[in-house]
Amino acid sequence: MNDTGNGASDAPEPEWVGLAANQSRLSFGLAVTELAERDESVVAVAADTLDLIGLRTLMERRPERVIDVGIAEQNAMGIASGLATTGMHPYVCGYAPFIAARSMEQLRNDVDYANQRVVIGAACSGISLAVSGGTHHAVEDIALMRGLPNMTVIVVADAHQGYHATLATRDHDGPVYIRLGGRAIETPATPVDTDYRIGRADLLRAGGDVTVIACGCMVPEAVSAAETLAGRGVDTRVIDMHTIKPLDRDAVLVAAAETGGIVTAEEHRLTGGLGGAVAELLAEEHPTRMRFVGMPAEYAVVGPTAKVRDRHGMSARHIVAACLSLAG
Amino acid sequence: MAERSNRKAVLRRLRDEARDIRRNSWRALRAAGSGHVGGALSAAELLAALYFHYLRVRPDEPDWPDRDRFVLSKGHGNAALAAVLAQAGFFDESRLDEFYAYESLLGMHPDIKCEGVEMSTGGLGHGLSIGIGMALGARLQGKDFRTVVMIGDGELQEGSNWEAAMAAAHMSLSNLAAIIDYNKVQQSGHVRDRMAIEPLADKWRAFGWAVREIDGHDVGEIVDALDALPLEEDKPSFVVAHTVKGKGASFAEDTYLWHNNAVTDEIYERALEELEASA
Repeated sequence: MNDTGNGASDAPEPEWVGLAANQSRLSFGLAVTELAERDESVVAVAADTLDLIGLRTLMERRPERVIDVGIAEQNAMGIASGLATTGMHPYVCGYAPFIAARSMEQLRNDVDYANQRVVIGAACSGISLAVSGGTHHAVEDIALMRGLPNMTVIVVADAHQGYHATLATRDHDGPVYIRLGGRAIETPATPVDTDYRIGRADLLRAGGDVTVIACGCMVPEAVSAAETLAGRGVDTRVIDMHTIKPLDRDAVLVAAAETGGIVTAEEHRLTGGLGGAVAELLAEEHPTRMRFVGMPAEYAVVGPTAKVRDRHGMSARHIVAACLSLAG
Repeated sequence: MAERSNRKAVLRRLRDEARDIRRNSWRALRAAGSGHVGGALSAAELLAALYFHYLRVRPDEPDWPDRDRFVLSKGHGNAALAAVLAQAGFFDESRLDEFYAYESLLGMHPDIKCEGVEMSTGGLGHGLSIGIGMALGARLQGKDFRTVVMIGDGELQEGSNWEAAMAAAHMSLSNLAAIIDYNKVQQSGHVRDRMAIEPLADKWRAFGWAVREIDGHDVGEIVDALDALPLEEDKPSFVVAHTVKGKGASFAEDTYLWHNNAVTDEIYERALEELEASA
């Protein structure tokens, strides 16, 4: 596990930081643009998602390197697979609810079963588009992707991590699913120059009483919860588990051994996501008291994103309550 | 004169290879005990012409980067694909006896791990999008390899094909061709009764493809169509190959009952007798 406690740097802020404006969907596109500048095999496949995913600059500079198939996610995924067989490195970009669920058969057969080097950028995951309603929510996608044998599954916590995780796919073999945020500003949880490694969890806060293992937008909520808990005498470890598959087993097992229980926190259904991955490991290797923070088996109401997340159990206060139930 | 006799020799060879594809498909299907007979037999001449006349491939170097790509989108026709790949020398014909066998690379549907197979297929409506990706890969890398996708007729009921149809024309992918093995029969009946796809040629023309209709069992017409690719400049090509499901086995022709059926020794012997009689 990587201890990121003192990651501050004096270097001037890179240009992408401002352009990303604390939105991981944009930092993904900026990273793809950067990769395309360095590597002739990199190509973006969009589904009418040029601006959603920050590809406009690449489109203007190198139009041939952006293949926009229009609103046709199945076609986008199949094309990406075909491109990859010829030695290209495609980055498919779409809305999480559509690029994951609608193209699932292409994603499973053409990309994962055929084991092609395709990166999928899934913007607006979870219930980030809260005002859009349930048709536009993706709270089952981690479960879907975790079920695919060859897939690497990444859930980024903020724009910084989104940028570095995307760059990290350059040297990664096999298919990768990167789960990105929505149209709202994301609370920065990691440093601009974060030392990102696929499959290596980041320790955001040391603690010995209880551990919160979080991903995505629940990472800053977990940090906030840990501060609240400190005031109540509960020393909370916070782990950013940005890679759900392969899971950083050591980080989980050490936390289970060293602290009094584990709370997982994710913007995803309570079944099949990060919590499931951690529980499966611990049930076999180190049975541990756990609590799960996430989306129950219900569809979200419409409203402001933070308020809707809180309504459905996904916010710092729910993490605090879960930790207290273990610590107490 | 020499050219004409050369053409005659080419066509004779292709007819022989097509007969061998049928013989070898039956061999594989008998080894399996059952399988997709109808859609393998209907594609025999098309596959013979592709692998022994059109496609630039190297069986001893299956991953040659500049090879032409062929995707069998109607993956259930894998017995015929396995047959033609074996005949072309990608692997030994004895492997056909391992069809459906434990740990075999020859299952009901093509597997990318098998020599000569460009994509794992079987879920219908996937091949055309994959072919677009391959054709774009050629364009982006400045390579002149060509991509051919064989689709089935019932398969066109999958909506994903029409996403691909729009895209290939929009992108002016003249290095992409689709051939439909139009045998008119799908799993549970005639295509026209399950979900009609006509007017087929008009649909593809309307989507922006160049279209030619041929008799998919006439090797002369197939060769002429392949040699004419791309059928028009700046357009993807669509070849409507009219075929007969189960072609060459009287009991299996034009019936959904032989889309997928048991293949006993008795059936095998009968099919082989008919093939020899037609030689």
